[in-house]
Amino acid sequence: MVMKASGGEHRARCCVAIPEIDTSKCISCGNCVEECPVGIVTLVDGKAVITNPEACSYCTECESFCPSAAIRCPIEIVLGAPES
Amino acid sequence: MAVSTDFLRSLPYLANLAADDVERVRRDILELSFDKDEFVLLEGEPCRGLYVVKSGRIRIFKSSPEGREHVLLVAGAGESFNDVPVFDDGPNPASGTALEPSVVYLIPKKTALALVADCPAALGIIRVFAARLRRLATVVSDLSFRSVVSRIAKLLLEMAVAEQAGTPIPRLTQDEMAARVGSVRDVVGRALRTLEKAGAIEIRGQRLVVTQPQKLLMLVEDYDKSRMP
Repeated sequence: MVMKASGGEHRARCCVAIPEIDTSKCISCGNCVEECPVGIVTLVDGKAVITNPEACSYCTECESFCPSAAIRCPIEIVLGAPES
Repeated sequence: MAVSTDFLRSLPYLANLAADDVERVRRDILELSFDKDEFVLLEGEPCRGLYVVKSGRIRIFKSSPEGREHVLLVAGAGESFNDVPVFDDGPNPASGTALEPSVVYLIPKKTALALVADCPAALGIIRVFAARLRRLATVVSDLSFRSVVSRIAKLLLEMAVAEQAGTPIPRLTQDEMAARVGSVRDVVGRALRTLEKAGAIEIRGQRLVVTQPQKLLMLVEDYDKSRMP
């Protein structure tokens, strides 16, 4: 099962996003728990879960340390004005 | 000297043609001589047709704007080159120079296309293959000449512009970006940080915003200056 913060266009357009976790691929290694800089990933029933989505900075560390590609942090690429 | 029918029949392109068609090619074909190092054709120029080496050797290569070269093929006697633009209607995808005094036959584009004119299905298939070959040649030159920063800049620019035009664009992870540009995640991550520091992009959570497309374009067009130390 893939867990997401919310679905579709809304999720793509807003800035609140969390990594997608495919729990069927999760091997309970705990790397994501150890590497998350804000400590919001935990293992629940042996599967990675993001417990505080609001605190996620989408740094992609969990994705980079996941050995089973269970965690994905896809990025939307768009044109836009600088944020100032 | 006129080209012999036997020579033409020895070419894979023409081996199975009817006698009339071979004769038509024989009538239209041009024989061209080149000195050593002389250019036979130039990358980006309009396509004159399909070339076949009669004698000598022709070096086919792509060039970077800085003059570096990547040889794609050395065509010897009986081998053809410049096949792709004959069928996909684009410019010459690569340049060619003679490695030694050489003689080549030029089958004009119109004559070559006429050989498949009565089979639109075959022409359609060949066009698809030709377009894919051209795309692969571009990938080869990108890998040869561009830094990862330049390859990432090209990918981001293409995707952001397409997204702006309303084309559905997939969201990509950094691993997927790496796979698209022939690199690895760590290097892509560094390239993204370089582009962000240069003010070309802003990474806002799950959105990568191309804020200065002209800066990316400069990196795309100015291959070597984007090379990382």
